[in-house]
Amino acid sequence: MKTETFSQLDKVIHEKGRMAIMSCISSHPDLSFRELKDLLQMTDGNLSMHIRTLQQAGYLAVSKTFLENRPHTSYRLTQQGKQAFKNYIELLAKIVSWNQA
Amino acid sequence: MTSEWAAQRLEEIQTLMERSTLYRRALAPTSTLTGCLGMAAGWLGWSLQIEYGPQFCLFWMLTSLVCLTLSSLMIRKQALVDREPFWSPPTRRVATAMAPALVCGAALGFLATMRGDLPESFYWGIPPLWMLFYGCALFSAGFFMPRGIKLFGAAFVLTGLVSLATAFQQAHEGGIDPRSQGHIVMGSTFGFLHFAYGIYLFLTEKDSLQAR
Repeated sequence: MKTETFSQLDKVIHEKGRMAIMSCISSHPDLSFRELKDLLQMTDGNLSMHIRTLQQAGYLAVSKTFLENRPHTSYRLTQQGKQAFKNYIELLAKIVSWNQA
Repeated sequence: MTSEWAAQRLEEIQTLMERSTLYRRALAPTSTLTGCLGMAAGWLGWSLQIEYGPQFCLFWMLTSLVCLTLSSLMIRKQALVDREPFWSPPTRRVATAMAPALVCGAALGFLATMRGDLPESFYWGIPPLWMLFYGCALFSAGFFMPRGIKLFGAAFVLTGLVSLATAFQQAHEGGIDPRSQGHIVMGSTFGFLHFAYGIYLFLTEKDSLQAR
């Protein structure tokens, strides 16, 4: 039962950097690349790589606009991403509850 | 993989979510405003020649009260615009983290104001101690806010230590000009450091705020 639950943890979200990105965007949609970088203290390359992985999984939607002729990129969770993050948290809560039981 | 690990991860998620909620809470305008008021108070205190003593403590405690009130109003206004509660759980955490050091600083100022019979040299140590308390408060708040706040707090602690060492040295050497130094120290630290941090935040967040 326990092994089954652990294997259900979403591998995409499970990585620490991607979990951090999902956590921030879930509570504050439309965070920009610069804001995420500042909040999470990640390098451009590291952040881009994790964002790409989340996009490929269908969890993140990207919005590219221009502000004062400068490119502006912001992110929000897709419906699939919201559901995956919710499931991930619920599974973690379930694992925690084993110890309390 | 244990349940302790899962609990720790849930806590990390909660902290990150709270930190990003607080991220845009009017930090740039409040810091810039506090900086301007601090520098103006430094100039005013110096112009009025308020010497080290109970009046000095009272003057700066009133200044900090004005800054705190105006900052709270600005944060409340932004929370209303964002349709978020002002006294939210993340805000409560930040306030709780800052409270012990701020209460100690306020108590020090209050006692120094009430006791008018203390030697003048005692008051030389008040601005550095205030800086240390305030730096500790900001550093604690940094655990629930953008990491820059921790650095900002560390800058206050460092400045406070240097000021304290300078005050000790000057006391040992025989004295300072009581009419100017305290206000210059307060204006250039509480005032200028807040102002510089506010401008830095404003420049780095400008694009993001415009996008909202």
